[in-house]
Amino acid sequence: MNSGFASAALIALLYTLLIFLIAWYAHHRKTIGRSIVGNPYVYTLSIAVYCTSWTFYGSVGKAATTGIDFLMIYLGPSLTAFSWFFLLRRIIQISKENNITSIADFISLRYGKSLWLGALVTLIAILGIMPYIALQIKAVSTSFYLISGFQGDSFHIPHGGSDLNVPSGLLLALILSLFGVMFGARRLVSSERHEGLIAAVAFESLVKLISILGVGAFVTYRLFDGFSDIFTRFQAAYPANFARLFTLGSENISPEAIPSFTMLFLSMCAIMLLPRQFHVMVIENSDERHITKAMWMFPVYLFLINLFVMPIALGGILSTGSSRGADFFVISVPLATGHSDIAMLAFLGGISAAAGMVIVESVAISTMLLNHIFMPVIVRFTPQAWFPLLLINLKRLGIFLVIFLGYFYYRIVGDSFMLVNMGMISFSAAAQFLPAMLGALYWRRGNRTGAISGMLLGFLTWFYTLLIPSFSHSGWISKELLSSGPFGIELLKPTEMFGLTGMDMWSHSLFWSMLFNISGYIICSILLHQDERERDQIHKFIGVFEYERRQQHRNEGKRLSKPVTITQFVSLMTKFIGESDAQRAIDTYRGGRELDANGNISEFELPNLKRFTEKSLAGSVGAAAAGAIVDSFLSDMGSRMESVYDIFSTVRTSLDQSREALFVRLKASEIINRTLDLQIIMDDLLTLLIKEFKLDVAIIQLASQNGQFTVRSYQGSNRRPINDQHWFMESRPYWEMTLADRKAHFVNDARLASTAITLEKTLAEGIVSCAHIPIFREGEPALGVISVFSKSITGLFTEEFISLLASLAGQFAQAVTIVHEIDAREFERVQKEQALLQNARVMRDMEIAQQIQMSLLPAAPPEMAGIEIGGCCISAAHVGGDYYDFFLRDEHTIDMLIADVSGHSVGAALIMSEVRTLLRAQVNSSHNASSILMSLNNQLYDDLTRAELFITMFYAKYNSATGKLSYANAGHNHPMICRMGQDSCIELDAEGLIIGVKQSVVFEERVIELYKGDVLLFYTDGLTEASNSEGEMFQNSRVCSQLGSISHLPVKDIIDSFYNKVIEFTGSTTLQDDISIVVLKIL
Amino acid sequence: MLKRIRHRIMHRLQLRESWLIFFIMGIIMMNFPFLHIFNKSDTLFGYPLMFLYFTVGWAISIFVIYLFTLAIRQSADERHGPKEP
Repeated sequence: MNSGFASAALIALLYTLLIFLIAWYAHHRKTIGRSIVGNPYVYTLSIAVYCTSWTFYGSVGKAATTGIDFLMIYLGPSLTAFSWFFLLRRIIQISKENNITSIADFISLRYGKSLWLGALVTLIAILGIMPYIALQIKAVSTSFYLISGFQGDSFHIPHGGSDLNVPSGLLLALILSLFGVMFGARRLVSSERHEGLIAAVAFESLVKLISILGVGAFVTYRLFDGFSDIFTRFQAAYPANFARLFTLGSENISPEAIPSFTMLFLSMCAIMLLPRQFHVMVIENSDERHITKAMWMFPVYLFLINLFVMPIALGGILSTGSSRGADFFVISVPLATGHSDIAMLAFLGGISAAAGMVIVESVAISTMLLNHIFMPVIVRFTPQAWFPLLLINLKRLGIFLVIFLGYFYYRIVGDSFMLVNMGMISFSAAAQFLPAMLGALYWRRGNRTGAISGMLLGFLTWFYTLLIPSFSHSGWISKELLSSGPFGIELLKPTEMFGLTGMDMWSHSLFWSMLFNISGYIICSILLHQDERERDQIHKFIGVFEYERRQQHRNEGKRLSKPVTITQFVSLMTKFIGESDAQRAIDTYRGGRELDANGNISEFELPNLKRFTEKSLAGSVGAAAAGAIVDSFLSDMGSRMESVYDIFSTVRTSLDQSREALFVRLKASEIINRTLDLQIIMDDLLTLLIKEFKLDVAIIQLASQNGQFTVRSYQGSNRRPINDQHWFMESRPYWEMTLADRKAHFVNDARLASTAITLEKTLAEGIVSCAHIPIFREGEPALGVISVFSKSITGLFTEEFISLLASLAGQFAQAVTIVHEIDAREFERVQKEQALLQNARVMRDMEIAQQIQMSLLPAAPPEMAGIEIGGCCISAAHVGGDYYDFFLRDEHTIDMLIADVSGHSVGAALIMSEVRTLLRAQVNSSHNASSILMSLNNQLYDDLTRAELFITMFYAKYNSATGKLSYANAGHNHPMICRMGQDSCIELDAEGLIIGVKQSVVFEERVIELYKGDVLLFYTDGLTEASNSEGEMFQNSRVCSQLGSISHLPVKDIIDSFYNKVIEFTGSTTLQDDISIVVLKIL
Repeated sequence: MLKRIRHRIMHRLQLRESWLIFFIMGIIMMNFPFLHIFNKSDTLFGYPLMFLYFTVGWAISIFVIYLFTLAIRQSADERHGPKEP
């Protein structure tokens, strides 16, 4: 071991320590919250991990052998940078939204969290990256030999008695693996940014840039005299070579040469699709605004790092005389000219380039390995407390695995390839992600089967046409396969598939793999359908900018068939990511959400919690595995995600109302407004609900008059009369609850209804979900309940559906209230009508009574010689108590009477008719007035007392032969006699009590003689007591004077003039009391 | 005048179409037959033609991207209003 070795090892060690310090410092700054990597410059430098020792050493080698086309590897990414503002930004947004951990995660998430797809991407990445890692190991170990002057393949370490031979490449692989573990696998959460790692990588990018610029400037300006000097001298020395190196596609194509287009295409893919590029550009991006700066700074970086490549290559050829070992001109040229310090700078640059790449690559791939190969197996076991420990160590193991695979590839393929050509194999593998990736972002129809089959076909083609030949180049696989194809089938020769000759192996492989890949992807995507899990993801990937806006409306479209508590989710997360991380995650979730008294969330919120749990887990184990973990956990719990029957289609109007919902509302209000018949409204409404929402049974209960709730409408299948045995009665607790708290209560899965309320009969009917919605107006007690039942769909009752039903119930409540009000008004009207009718009937009865009563009065006065007699009665009410009568006893004798039964009721009229009957009977037996009155009083006393009535009566008997009038009075108004030549009237009076006051009364009988021309007036109190508007009565005096003024007239006219006089006096045609007048005129 | 031209260029660069056109133009210029023009072993001022083409072309393309990023920033400023007076 010479001094060169020691100093090289020492400097490498010191450099490593520096890197560690930087990483530690960056991590420290992050923990105190003042990140040094969160800026576009560090971001750009971290993307420059693209430039590996391939760039550092290989570009010079390529430039020296095939010429300027090496630039294509860097022009491609420069071009791709144009698209970053759209493409990269979108990928970053999607990844941040979903806690994406790697490119495998990204692709598998888009295609329905497919475990198989994730595993396939991982497999391609691991195998594809193998040559790339081998390239780094080869570059670093070769450069180490050069710088240290150390020869041989292995170090001899004294170990006891014998020497232990450790191959230098193996040692390097070990060191790089440790690097990777320390930087990238300290913690499990891989969606979290590794600031230490990024700081180290950025620093290394800076070192390699300075290093190559230093070497370039040294070669160009120290060894030569600037660019044009090198070119001129080279052209002079090697004119043929000059022409070859500075032109493309010249005729002498070596089998190593790769057409510029292939390189351009592959490098354009690689900058986005290589796992480590995806990692630094997407996962480690701290702010998407950094993209705009990186878009031009990264091409500038590439430009600078390639600026001196051509001069170094030409200078190397000029100074060494050939292009042999051109891969390491960067070190060998300074060494050959005796500038070991410049060589050391170059060596450091080379180490930086290799180390940065290997670390990031191994971290990225080990994450994929853990999440997509190990996790799908692990999730099949019951989670254990030691899982977090297992996972982190598996990840570390993954890093070793990735690097050692590269090491073995290096051992096998070794020196048979140039650095660049080894790298191109990896680029070709990464290109297989392109169709699925672009399809993920821009093609809605792209499906999982398409992605898997396309990628698998492409991968197999790549494996067969590129990886296998690369082995056989080194002699590891027999050359016969290449020269004559498998089993001698020429058509299947790996480098000349189907007879396609004349192409270099990279273009050949690219052509076939892309052809199979793209056609597989497109054909399967068109032929086959996407399943539901995939469709769920599409909107997250396509139209990501709208996605953020839509997030505000929760529209999960899924529900958990059995509720799971927050605590259960936390304990699940703890098992995978450790307690502190789980607790922190759930705390961020809890903030800003409404929890009920038990610390739980509503059923509608559960799918969001589930999604959140998946997302949190995805940050550590990848989306596909997270999905599998949560699903298996839920199925252990006896719960699962099931589709909510989406009664609202996805088409939404600006009012966030689906057309269907609006349609139903419209129909419902039509039904409600069409009629006032509640029964029709209810029946139609329920029929509408059943028809539109695929319900099976719908029932409306309304409160009746007595406050009892009864089923008023019952629509749907197999109806039976509702009684206590009916299955509907099982839901009584629910609708009673609904009535009490005026909130909708629903059971989305009747099988899982709470144990307190069993729905056995309901289940036996085949019903799986039901809801009870109160019918009420704001601020008023519930009027009833709408109950709806579904036999086919569990989880029918989403928040939106319930609110739609509630609003329909509200509309219906309005209708019920209106109908009730109208009913009440109608009832009142009918009552009034009835009363009127009743009144009319009574009136009619009274009229009849009056007619009868009138017919009881004498129809015409009797004819008797010597006298003229007449009488009339006009009642105030329809029937009255006035009565007069005449009895002609013989040709000289006539009896007259006038009576007034108190009151004007029908009772009075009846009494009057009784009086008449009795009188008629008595007239023949009794002969004088007083005895008639006395017997009448006797007979009527009981009846009158019972009826609380009494009668006044004046009874007179006139004998025309004697001219004598004998009379008796029972409290009646005194009749008046108007005698010719006398101014005043004679009032007839006799002692006697009103009839009906005392059992037996003696009536005085008086006699008066009447002369010719006397006019005798009998009247009832209606006449004298008629009052005018001032309250003045008609009075006896007026009666007397009136009688005096008209006594010469005939009887009939006298009577009429009295009536007219009274009407004139009172000023009204209607009488206040009955007025009866009887007039006797002696002729 | 210069300001107005600058403003118009910035405005055009904000269009998605301009990005696409430049991207496609870049791919075309990296391929035959375009490359064929410079695919000669001649030199210009001592520099090989192809070397010059790539170096200068690349620098120009980077400058174009830089202009694009300026346009992005300007459109962001226009949307949110200038941050500083």
